[in-house]
Parts: sequence; C-alpha cells; structure tokens
Amino acid sequence: MSFIAKLAEDLCTGCKQCIFACPEPNIIRFNGNTKKVEFYIDKCKGCGLCAEACKFDALEITLA
Amino acid sequence: MIPKISPGFEDVLPVEYRELVQDGSYGRNLRIKDLGTFKESIEEHPLCAGCALSLSIRLIVASLPCPEDTIVVGTTGCNSILMPQLAIHNIHSLFGNQNAVASGLKRALKIRYPDKHKDVVVVAGDGGTADIGLSMTMHSWFRRENITTIMLDNEGYSNTGGQESSMTREGVVLYMAPLGKKYPKTRMFEIARESGCAYVAAVSPASPRRLEKMVRRAILVARAIGPTYVQIYCPCATNYKFSPSETLKRTKDDEQIREYMSSDAKELIERLGE
Repeated sequence: MSFIAKLAEDLCTGCKQCIFACPEPNIIRFNGNTKKVEFYIDKCKGCGLCAEACKFDALEITLA
Repeated sequence: MIPKISPGFEDVLPVEYRELVQDGSYGRNLRIKDLGTFKESIEEHPLCAGCALSLSIRLIVASLPCPEDTIVVGTTGCNSILMPQLAIHNIHSLFGNQNAVASGLKRALKIRYPDKHKDVVVVAGDGGTADIGLSMTMHSWFRRENITTIMLDNEGYSNTGGQESSMTREGVVLYMAPLGKKYPKTRMFEIARESGCAYVAAVSPASPRRLEKMVRRAILVARAIGPTYVQIYCPCATNYKFSPSETLKRTKDDEQIREYMSSDAKELIERLGE
C-alpha cells in the first residue's frame, strides 16, 4: 500500500507553492503554456507536504 | 566547468543525464523562483517521505550563486545518503572532518584557480557540526577560512535510530534516549558569531525565499571576507513521530529566523545588492 499526490487540474492556479514544499526533486514541474503544474508521479512518496501547502485544495493524497 | 555531450553520444546517454546537460542549472543563474521550470541537480534520493532535510538540500542547491563552480563537502549523516545523487562536485569526509577537509580544499583551489571564485560549501548535519566535528568546525572559523558552513539541524542522530545530539532540546525523549535529554540545546548561532564568522543566519525551509537569500549572502560573504554559518531547522518526522505532512507546519511554529552580519559583511551585501 502506498500513497501518492493527486492533482485536480481545474483548481490549480499555478502559484507554485507545492513546488517549494515538495522534498522530492523534479516531481512537480511548472508548465509555462498552461500556467499550471504537472506531476511526474513515479517518485512521489506521498508525504502530503504539497497538499498542506496548496491554498486552493487542488491536491489530495490518495492510495496509489 | 559546464558539461557538454560529445557529438554522436546524444542518443545513447541516459535520459536523466541528457536532460541535466540540456536543461540543467549550470551557468544559467537560476533562483528558487525558477524551480519547476528546469532540471534540478538532484535526481532522486532515498530519504524518508516528508523529510525537511531533503527539502532544505533541494532549496540550498537551487540557491547556489554558481553551481558549476561549487564544491559541496558533506559528512556522515542523513544528508550523506543523498549526496551521491547530487550533480554538483561533492566530497564525503570522515565523520566530523568536513570543515578541515573544506579548509584544505579551499586553499588548494585558491592556488589552482587564482582568478576564479570556487565556492566551498560544507553541508552537514547537527551531529557532524555540533557534536563530533565541533572542534574542527570552530577551528576553521578561528582561522578565518573562506568557507560556508551549513548545518541541517534535525535535532538528533536520525540516521542511526534516534540518539540524542547536542542540538536536541531539553526533555525530548527519542527512541535511543528513553530518559529524555538532560541539558539544553547548544547555542550554535552564538558560538559561530563569537568564533569569528562574518555572517551567521538561522532559518527553516518553510521560508524558501528567505533561505535562498541567506544561503546566497553566506556564500558571497565567504568568497570575499571570511567564514560564514547558516543553521537550517529541519525537524525529523521519523524520529520525532509526527505525520510527514506536518513537517512544514512544525517548522513554521518553532521558527526562529535570525541573522547577524559583521560591519564588513553588511557593507559588501549592500554593495552587491543581495
């Protein structure tokens, strides 16, 4: 059983707070065209720091 | 030195390495605000979920003013299991020797590259800096070596099962310290200030922009004036038994952001506009 972060794209405002809170490098990338973040989820450990940092409830931790 | 891929080898190199060369941080003067838009210098790491120490190292690496000309000196601790994955020159030293190794390295680099700035940055845990390596750390400050010392203070020996360190707070009970610690936390900020550091700062990864500013200031002051010290508070979710998602909240609650600079350092920072 493992946990990963799940992004609700319509709620993302591209404020990048999740990128500054994530301890894992290169998982959350900012897409300059859509002005939203993208997840490269294979290396996510599901700690939940990004979900805590998100002020728009766009992120939640779910079972993988 | 900025690495390049030899012609003909583009398609056989691992994809991570190719991305690092083509989209990495070398020679581009990138800052923390640019995180997420470039390939970071750490590929992945085996530290625990929600580790504030790994977040701090990620932010430190993104804040380096000149990553291609930086040498990171590490020592035993949680941070040393991340260092092999770091795409910046780094050295692992014996436990506690990091500031002595860094002093020699900086002196050699000054002779080898007299017209170039090579930043030597020590990144070590609280055990390496404040317990086992305290004498070597303090003597590098007494000798006014041009190195930056960054201590990642997770308040214990987390790598070996949770023994108390001198940075553990009074009364804290850990797995391998069942009676609780009997004396207060060492005042490393004051020790650094009184030992001759030109710039001393304490911060936590909950304030990434401030962390960036302090790390950059510490490195720039170390280039020109003398030793500098930055203490980063990184609570350990595994040994302090809290949920990994609470790490930054706890960091914010206990945060004590402090900064000291000598008059020379203040003048330099104002001149550089940092």
